[in-house]
Amino acid sequence: MDSLIISNIRQRPTRTLVSVTGVALGVVLVILNMALVRGMLNDRLRRERGIGAEIQFARFSSTIWSPSSVLPLDARYADRLATIPGVQIVSPVARFVQSGNSGIGLEQVDGIDFQGYAAISGLRVVQGRVFQADDEVIIDEKKAHDSKAKVGDEIQVFGRKMKVAGIYAPESGARIKVSLEAMQRAQSAPNKCTFILVKCVNPDQQAEVQQRINTTLPGNQVVLTRDLVTGFNRAVPGLDGFVKAILALSTIVSTLVILLAMYTTITERTREIGVLKSLGASKRYIVIVIEKEAMAISLIGVVAGVIAAFTAGWGIERATSLQLEYRWTWVLVAVLIGLVAGVVGSLYPAVRAANLDPVKALAYE
Amino acid sequence: MTYHVGKVDVHALRGVDLKVAPGEFIAIMGPSGCGKSTLLHILGGLLKPTSGRAIVDGEDLVAVSDAARTDIRRRKIGFVFQRFNLFPTLTAEGNLRLAEHIHGNGAQPENAKFRKEILQLLRLENKMRHKPLELSGGEQQRVAIARAIITRPAIILADEPTGNLDSENSAAVLQMLQQLNRELGQTIVMITHNPEAAAVAARTIEMRDGMIVKGHETATA
Repeated sequence: MDSLIISNIRQRPTRTLVSVTGVALGVVLVILNMALVRGMLNDRLRRERGIGAEIQFARFSSTIWSPSSVLPLDARYADRLATIPGVQIVSPVARFVQSGNSGIGLEQVDGIDFQGYAAISGLRVVQGRVFQADDEVIIDEKKAHDSKAKVGDEIQVFGRKMKVAGIYAPESGARIKVSLEAMQRAQSAPNKCTFILVKCVNPDQQAEVQQRINTTLPGNQVVLTRDLVTGFNRAVPGLDGFVKAILALSTIVSTLVILLAMYTTITERTREIGVLKSLGASKRYIVIVIEKEAMAISLIGVVAGVIAAFTAGWGIERATSLQLEYRWTWVLVAVLIGLVAGVVGSLYPAVRAANLDPVKALAYE
Repeated sequence: MTYHVGKVDVHALRGVDLKVAPGEFIAIMGPSGCGKSTLLHILGGLLKPTSGRAIVDGEDLVAVSDAARTDIRRRKIGFVFQRFNLFPTLTAEGNLRLAEHIHGNGAQPENAKFRKEILQLLRLENKMRHKPLELSGGEQQRVAIARAIITRPAIILADEPTGNLDSENSAAVLQMLQQLNRELGQTIVMITHNPEAAAVAARTIEMRDGMIVKGHETATA
């Protein structure tokens, strides 16, 4: 039986290739999308945590995930926050979102008060110096690496060229930083910012400090950085739906490809199915022959898909600043979708073949 | 042990009553549409008549379910077709192995001695690695015969086995069928248009309009 299946797969290389590609496509879709979603979210999360502030204070209208580019928060709140017991340092941040330099995705720029920000995050300039003029920025090492920018080079910020004054480490918040005043002037929003970082005297008491801020300055958004994981997933609109749609799409594409391939196959081989029946092959035997062939095709497709996904992922990471993060559970889900598509997609053709009238099948031209 | 089709009442067949003894080689002749193919399909359990009985080696093909009929076909029937009907993607060897695999219900039986005998008799020893399209029509039909007989069926049903062959290959195939019948005691029922082909059988039945009109022993058999 196995030699029949193998010889059939080899008999129609184009059909096999098309079906394998279809299944592989589904696998690539799942692995790459999930890796991208995770990679981007975790990258952001790491950087938000890297800031080192336990609390972020913002207006309700803006979230730290999707801030409007107009700065909504009065930076003078910082002075009031600083007086709250348990608060050690505060530092306002103005965040601007621009389209990515690779043309894909969005890129953030933070306007910071360097002294306060550095005190909270431990950020230090490792090459060059801190920005001094409005047209100067500092960038982190990944940004420098991705855009191949050195100290003294120019990069696009706010739609104009700005000079890289220095490179900083470690990663925290946006990868491009300008002075708060420069950002405020660029946005024509003096004394405004997006959120204010709050570092507590004792990190163990951050919940109490959060409580106090809420009491003193009610009606604002006071978020603990450690809660950002769930916050991010919620704050990206429709992320859950997107994930489900990708899974459904991948399942449907793979199943349909296998269904069509196997349906064509049984039509083409109607007479051979009649011969199998004349040899005494049971319905079960015929179903197994067709299911096995489909399984073999989807197995090849799944392997090809996994290889293609990792290759494409490697290329994406090299060519863009997008970050991918693979999880074996998603690779497993992709593999399972491919294999289940093989079984389910070939079920109808298999049952149809098993139920063919042997006399008619033998007479089929 | 008798092969029996009794009082089958369908459009194609009317009151056909035929007994074939074990080890017998009979030919069924008649014009197109006389019902000989229908009779063969019923004997092979591919078709279920509306009424009557078809008993092969003690088992009634008509009274049982579809699945049971398939099972009887697997254990007891070997088909040879006019168009050979070999699996084109498999070698001759692969075709034989597949028949054995189905016959063995998934197991691949060890059958070396019998297989050697069959391949020798059908002069196929050197052809087993070839795919059907690399073989002549006569060779293909000999592979098909080998495939039918390799599982030691109670009866071989041959549907115009020489219909697609030239006279030289026809003669060779017929001579081999006769040899299988004589040397191995293989029971064979063969449909043919050709009186010369029918002559190799021990008995010839003539059919017309779904009925047996004449049956006679072949003088030369």
